[in-house]
Amino acid sequence: MVTHQTTRGYRVFRVLNAVILTGVVVATLYPFLNIVAQSFSHERYILAGEVNLVPRGFNLTTYKIIASDPMFWTNYRNTVVYTVVATLVAMVLTTCYAYVLSKRHLKGRTFLIWVAVFTMFFNGGLIPNYVLVTSIGLKNTLWAIVLPNAISVFNLLVMKAFFENLPDELEEAAAIDGLNTYGILWRIVLPLSKAVIATMVLFYAVSFWNSWFTAFLYMSDAELFPVTVYLRNLIAGATGAEGAGAALGDVTQAASNIKSVTIVLTVLPILAVYPFVQRYFVSGVMLGAVKG
Amino acid sequence: MREITRRQAIGLGAFTLVLAGCGSDDTPAPGQAGTANRAGAMANYAVGQQFKATEPVNFSILYNNHSFYPIKNDWLFWQELTKRTNVTLNPTVVPLSDYENKRGLLIGAGDAPLIIPKTYHPQEEAFVASGAILPVSDYLDLLPNFKDKAAKWRLEPELNTLRQADGRFYLLPGIHEKSWSDYTYAVRTDILEELGLEVPKTYDDFYAMLKAMKEKYPDRYPMTDRWGVPTPGGNLFKLVARAYGTKGGWDYQHATWDAAAGKFVYTGAMPQYRQMIEYLRKLVAEKLLDPESFTQQDDPAKQKFVSGRSFVISGNAQELINSYRGPLTENIPDAKVAKIPVPTGPIGEYKHDSRLENGIMISKAALENKNFVAMMQFIDWLWYSDAGQEFAKWGVEGTTFTKDASGAYKLADDVDYVGLNAGAPKHLQKDFGFGNGVFAYGGPTKLLQSTFSEEEVAYQDVMNARQDYPVEPPHPFTEEEREQSTLWETALKDHVTQNTLRFVLGERDINEWDAYVKELEAKNSTSYITLVNTAYERFKKEHG
Repeated sequence: MVTHQTTRGYRVFRVLNAVILTGVVVATLYPFLNIVAQSFSHERYILAGEVNLVPRGFNLTTYKIIASDPMFWTNYRNTVVYTVVATLVAMVLTTCYAYVLSKRHLKGRTFLIWVAVFTMFFNGGLIPNYVLVTSIGLKNTLWAIVLPNAISVFNLLVMKAFFENLPDELEEAAAIDGLNTYGILWRIVLPLSKAVIATMVLFYAVSFWNSWFTAFLYMSDAELFPVTVYLRNLIAGATGAEGAGAALGDVTQAASNIKSVTIVLTVLPILAVYPFVQRYFVSGVMLGAVKG
Repeated sequence: MREITRRQAIGLGAFTLVLAGCGSDDTPAPGQAGTANRAGAMANYAVGQQFKATEPVNFSILYNNHSFYPIKNDWLFWQELTKRTNVTLNPTVVPLSDYENKRGLLIGAGDAPLIIPKTYHPQEEAFVASGAILPVSDYLDLLPNFKDKAAKWRLEPELNTLRQADGRFYLLPGIHEKSWSDYTYAVRTDILEELGLEVPKTYDDFYAMLKAMKEKYPDRYPMTDRWGVPTPGGNLFKLVARAYGTKGGWDYQHATWDAAAGKFVYTGAMPQYRQMIEYLRKLVAEKLLDPESFTQQDDPAKQKFVSGRSFVISGNAQELINSYRGPLTENIPDAKVAKIPVPTGPIGEYKHDSRLENGIMISKAALENKNFVAMMQFIDWLWYSDAGQEFAKWGVEGTTFTKDASGAYKLADDVDYVGLNAGAPKHLQKDFGFGNGVFAYGGPTKLLQSTFSEEEVAYQDVMNARQDYPVEPPHPFTEEEREQSTLWETALKDHVTQNTLRFVLGERDINEWDAYVKELEAKNSTSYITLVNTAYERFKKEHG
């Protein structure tokens, strides 16, 4: 370590590294900050392309318009409910499935893996899925969003790999001390798997939070839509003059910063949660690194 | 892989034939099925009569939810509709952003509501083959108002363009008394005044105008255009092509009717198409038109215009107010901008816009509904009767609007609509559900223009003085022909679009025009046109 710091090459590397990484930070952060700035700017400056990092002609009009619509809050609440329930269900199912698959002595394990992997490559298609979900009466319910996406095969395989890497000795010891399978899972395996669980919660939560397509498919009532559908429609209404221009009734008051406001509103909660979960993220990566 | 034996192949073939045979058997005779399902229907429903179902009925409807006036269940529209017609509509709410996807899915899954509005021709063609939607042309007798207006306004040629190879049409279109021109160019009129220019009437004037602007402001492009994504030069190519009697941009279709020859010709190879290219090529070469015009996103084009870096841009009434005038005058307080009447070209003073609007598809499942006839009468009343159209657009007299002796509409004082009563506490669309794009469109010119501003009415008057451009005869493809033509169209369209741009931008020498036409022929443009002309002849013989 000490020798590293003194060599000239290392110093050059450090400087270069800092420069390049700063460049990366700027490149990734700038578009986002620009969006935030736009969301607070007056349309005059946005249309003239004069907004960079600092809002110009500060105003909150678009935020006020969106926030004053009760449907926005209904849909925002829906998103929270859908995300929480769906993540919960997905975590329970994925964890159980992955844990079972990680046991090499399990009979029919290969088959069970193939059942899951098969769905990664083949699926019934949009219409058959729709018919299925409708015919078992899930349409216009929370479960239409939760159940079809409850197990992501990619997440499942990551979790399975993680469980496989846990030392068997721990579980054997627990068994000798009198724990049954569920006890082992609950008291030994899960506490040791915080890293992967946090990662999976994050993956699932972000994907449910951002998803709009399932809700759009299976919900036919505006009060059941998540906020993503609401905002997507808002953007389309404000910008889609081209095709709909023919219909006289569709006169919209296109607010030029509606897109940026939308992005800020959807990203904010995820942004707020990220730093707290990231802690586990890092330790998860370290865990893999040492073993590797 | 196991190979299929010959016997299996024959078996399979026979099975397919049986299936095909089944399919063609159960087509009902035109206008027969369903007309016995008269529950709730009026016995003597006719033009000028208020429709009211004889018992309370419900119809499901696909509802395109506009974000500017999101659906509310307590709208006066719903209550008053039920009061007047005894009909309750059960909407399946679909966000406007993805209306077409959901419509396709619901029809495909057999779960579609009975009434499917906001369908733009030829979108309905995708559903014709599956037999999921009703051939409405067989049931026009149930629609007296529609028939009346179609006859009164001589819409037969337009309706014919909707017909499929079987001679029927499957979409009940919105109909206008007069075609409605909206898209044109927005021009900085203060610059015209400064240069002492008149508003250009022809494309030659238009060129002279740009030239004069360029002389005064040599450092900028007088015109930069928008609406280039996803169709390059969507509006610009469309308008210039029309002036020469051909089709381009949003309008582009592979076949164009050549009235003199009495047959269709390939659009991208027409001499008129070449003239259009040469005109635009001149504008680009003399730096009068920004070469980015054809492909840039809307935002940069708008930015250049409202910041005063260019003076001419494509526009319509709504964009003029919302995107141009407001921001422009904030940047340049003295700036003035207006829609100019579409410049005319060699073919003379014509108006090219269609008198048809988006329309309604009806699910075939409606035939089995006991209220089928009542539903058709209801559709006829709400969308096609004078009373229904007025109701859908303006609402309830005395509550949302008043009408004076001359028949001019006036909004109630506390209600706003398209800025007519800016600042009023309530909004006709948001709070009452009228002026809703799902229910209110088309109709008599007087109704259409009742919400227009003075300058827009003036624009309409100029345009309405022009003659309507003749409607092309129909040439509907059969299922197989459509498949074949789609295969050819994709390659042809790419080639035409690419080379149109290359010619216009000067990347390809216009003297290579003949070579370009040869390339189109190599991509089957001739076979394509033969197919179109065959379809045209067949339709003329069978249904003409």
